[in-house]
Amino acid sequence: MRFILMMTGTRANWDEYAKWSKEDLERNVAFMRAFGKELKDSGVFVATEGLGWPGEAKMVRAGKNGEAITDGVFPESKEFLAGYWIIDVESPEQAYKIAARASAAPGPEGKPRGIPIEVRQVLSGHADLGL
Amino acid sequence: MKYILLMTGKKVGVESYLAWSQKDRNAHMAVLRRIAKELTASGEFVATQGLAGPQEAKVVLGEKGGMPVTDGVFPESKEFLLGYWIVDVATPERACAIAGRISAAPGPGGMPTNVPIEVRGFASYPEPES
Repeated sequence: MRFILMMTGTRANWDEYAKWSKEDLERNVAFMRAFGKELKDSGVFVATEGLGWPGEAKMVRAGKNGEAITDGVFPESKEFLAGYWIIDVESPEQAYKIAARASAAPGPEGKPRGIPIEVRQVLSGHADLGL
Repeated sequence: MKYILLMTGKKVGVESYLAWSQKDRNAHMAVLRRIAKELTASGEFVATQGLAGPQEAKVVLGEKGGMPVTDGVFPESKEFLLGYWIVDVATPERACAIAGRISAAPGPGGMPTNVPIEVRGFASYPEPES
């Protein structure tokens, strides 16, 4: 079963993150690298991506004639996707355990952040889209 | 330049999608399939994924006694990720144009859904010093 683990945050969370010390940032990135390597070594890793800053996010809607209407204004409460992991595991419980580890990634002064990680099953997107 | 196009929706939006006729759903999927095929042909396609319904979503908040703490209750206003496309394009404008085409995919009665598509770039982290 494939699951996606999603890390999200508001713009305020990003602003805080931007203030972390270099040491705190390096510790967090090192954790993420080790975590990714562990997922690969245990054979559950499918994909991971970290997304760019919300300041560069755009919202696109189709206009009347199908043209792209672009907007860059979001409500303060907007939860932006920060990054995700896709894993292939035996059960939802295994996915939750792995999500708990991501949730415990170190923040300022090395303390586990306990951030919420959303866990969802992914569908066979490629097959559905005839690829 | 790689971009991710995110389609999101609330639980109520997903419920209204489930109430679409089979014909409307087929027409919608046919357009999404055509867009994916065109992106593959133009070499801009990287990945796409659809997510399972929000009713099965869980949020994990750390662990207690070695077990993950899970919760399945979300506010009504919660925007769930429904699916995404990753494209590798020459310009941000091209990424927005593709998002516009996805937004224009037909809904009930063949009218465009005009669903908003969020367009984001990717983060880059420095390689560790060896």
